[in-house]
Amino acid sequence: MAGKASRENPETGEPALRDSESPTDVPEAAGPPRFSLLVCIDGTDASYRALRHAVRIGSGTGADLTLLYVRPIDQDLRTGGMQISVVRENLLDWGLELPGGTALRRGRELLVELGWLNKDWQTEFAHVDVQGDPLGDNAIIYSSPEGRSIVLRLLIAPSVASGILDEAKLGEFDLLIVGMPEGEKGSGPGYVSRKIARRVAREHTGAVLVTRAREESDGHLVCIANYEGSIVAAQKHAEIAGRCASPVFLLSVARAADILPDSRKTVATAKERIEKAGIPVSGTTALVGDPVALIVEQGRPHSVIVVSRFQKRTGWRQIFSNSIAFKVLKRAENSVMITR
Amino acid sequence: MHPAVQARLDRTLGQAAQRHRAPVVRGFGAFLWDKRWFFIALAVGAVLMSFSPPEGLDRRGLILIAMSVVAIILFVTEPVPLPTVALMIILGQVVLLGIDSTSVAESLMSDSVLFIMGSLMLAVAVVKQKLDKRIAYWIVRMTGTGTINVCVGISIVSGILASFIGEHTVAAMMLPVAITLITLTSEDSRKVRGLAAVLLFSISYGCSIAGIGTPSGGARNAIMIGYWKEFFYDPTNPETAKYVVDYLTWMLYSYPIFLIQLPFVTLILFYTFKPEHRNISRAVVRLREQIRAQGPMKSADWVSIAAFAVVLSGWLTFSDTLGLGTVAIFGAVAFLVIGLVRWEDLNSGVNWGVVLLYAAAISLGVQMKDSGAALWVANAFLDLLSPLGIEGGIPLWTAVSALTTGVTNMMSNGAAVAVIGPITLKMAAAAGESPLLIGFITAISSAFAYLTVIGTPACTIVYASGYLKTTDFLRVGYRMVIVSTVLLIISASLFWPLIGL
Repeated sequence: MAGKASRENPETGEPALRDSESPTDVPEAAGPPRFSLLVCIDGTDASYRALRHAVRIGSGTGADLTLLYVRPIDQDLRTGGMQISVVRENLLDWGLELPGGTALRRGRELLVELGWLNKDWQTEFAHVDVQGDPLGDNAIIYSSPEGRSIVLRLLIAPSVASGILDEAKLGEFDLLIVGMPEGEKGSGPGYVSRKIARRVAREHTGAVLVTRAREESDGHLVCIANYEGSIVAAQKHAEIAGRCASPVFLLSVARAADILPDSRKTVATAKERIEKAGIPVSGTTALVGDPVALIVEQGRPHSVIVVSRFQKRTGWRQIFSNSIAFKVLKRAENSVMITR
Repeated sequence: MHPAVQARLDRTLGQAAQRHRAPVVRGFGAFLWDKRWFFIALAVGAVLMSFSPPEGLDRRGLILIAMSVVAIILFVTEPVPLPTVALMIILGQVVLLGIDSTSVAESLMSDSVLFIMGSLMLAVAVVKQKLDKRIAYWIVRMTGTGTINVCVGISIVSGILASFIGEHTVAAMMLPVAITLITLTSEDSRKVRGLAAVLLFSISYGCSIAGIGTPSGGARNAIMIGYWKEFFYDPTNPETAKYVVDYLTWMLYSYPIFLIQLPFVTLILFYTFKPEHRNISRAVVRLREQIRAQGPMKSADWVSIAAFAVVLSGWLTFSDTLGLGTVAIFGAVAFLVIGLVRWEDLNSGVNWGVVLLYAAAISLGVQMKDSGAALWVANAFLDLLSPLGIEGGIPLWTAVSALTTGVTNMMSNGAAVAVIGPITLKMAAAAGESPLLIGFITAISSAFAYLTVIGTPACTIVYASGYLKTTDFLRVGYRMVIVSTVLLIISASLFWPLIGL
């Protein structure tokens, strides 16, 4: 399956990264925890919108950013038995870029344009032959003099969705950001369709932000349920929102009027804790009614709706999951973040 | 690099990470979901085998039909690497049918399989000769700078080449030409969507319609030739000699159908996509400059052209005596002996699992014929069609073409012919139609995989460029299917009788 990692970039001769034998034998990195973002890039406007969103979140946090393009493994029966790598090598011989390279290059150009990447950043390459494909998995790592990193990842996986999910899980990113395509239809084998975006949001075990074109500026609406875990999740998210200078609004929805006092109490507790951490809360609301409808309606003027999900669902149970978070994700017209 | 970033890359980019990406490692539930079609296929096969054989079909035939259904589900849904299906067919023949393993192994190799193996090696060898820039130069020299002329030139050249050396070879060689023209016209792919579509589809559809032109145009043709010989040829009966179809005979029936489809390709593409630029002079001029930098043809170029010409003449003159496969293998040997290609290049450029897959599918098809299962399915299909008044002639030809077109759009065209060829040939025999005519209709219709990315190798290759959407194939594909089917049926009813079919 996997080949040996190259020790140097074949084109530039620059040293490549070492290849660890096992993910578990990697020593813990020194220093304080760093905020890390993984953004899925497929060359569509939706993916670059997601990247802009990542830059907004990352600007305040000094985050490490990874741009990921996933190319599905070739099924060579489709090319009549000739390996598609022969086609790719021919394209490279002509000096042409492959689709993944083009998409990531455009992402890099956007980061330069936004002032996130400069020429004085150090560049390193890493490459591993995988799935019998000599083009394999690749990474270009840009490191700033202050130690911040931007990684362009070109990954081969059985499918786009599984590639994103595996990368997010193995990389232990703090936040996975996926652009939800709207109207536009993407092209090429690495396209992140609506179905894939939803699957990623449903199956990823960490926090996911699904971005949409609608960009209202009225901060983040953080939805809180009557659980301690929900308040903790709201606190964590408020830190992110605070770092990117986005106002925070808190919302709790009670299904019945008799639970409303509890909801009010939950919101008040969350507000107190968040403000104690030095992050201002711009407003709070507690309402009675259908949670999904109210969250979608209340969330309309906000740039992001943040919903938590607490059930520990794994395997096939994730697939049939139909929680409030996913209903909100499906119905909302703006970006939705699902925290866990 | 910060140690945290290094640590993350060590976790995600390495051998161990690859092991951790296996579905089974992500949890049993995820594994079941990822492989759901595999288990559904097995369940469908088990249910079919649990029934009592219907009238006219024995137990062996029922098992073979169940195996074919399982194979079709796996071909279409691809839950496991496709060569796994080949291995399952081999296992099924030994374990479920009780056939001796040596006999199964022997049934895997035939001239058709040798041809597939040899032509794939030749395809890689030809691509490695880097003749694409020379071909591009000839095209832009002939066509000028008008977009429509360039597209016509690409379709004609791609088609003529693909009819002899296989569509995957030509698509691989022509793809950089089209992408270079697109990128030299505009760096922003969104501004040249229509232009990209007409140029890329000119390659893929040019190749697809041409792949039926000669036996060496695609694996499906060699498979059909093999089936005719296996099903209908009796060495003791001189009347059956017509079922040994040689290279020229195939061309006589098929090549005109390729030629009459050619003008429609450009017309349909321009009608559907309406390119943004009617003239791409800037791109053509820059492409010419790039190509001129290559200098004049070198001796190695001429040697490789001569080597392929020898192979082609071998197919034309010796295919009926030596077999198409033997000539293809000879060609691969010639390229290796002359030193035009290294074995390592052939070894890495050919997916040998696909050869195994075709071998197993053909072996299953032959078993279907021997057991009577193919005839039973053919009769059942005819019984379904007869209430609609489809019992023979043009209605039956159209039904066979529609069936093949439907199947080939869901799986590779070679696999489609391997799976449904035995059924349509037996259907011909049962309906009193010529097996040659129905065989040609089946093989030619298998090229009408215009609707999906996976239908033909050329479509898959141009899709890999990243310029086309899956919906583009549907937008233009249905028009191509209608025109190609009408032209095929007209040819079958008016042209083929004139030349003795």
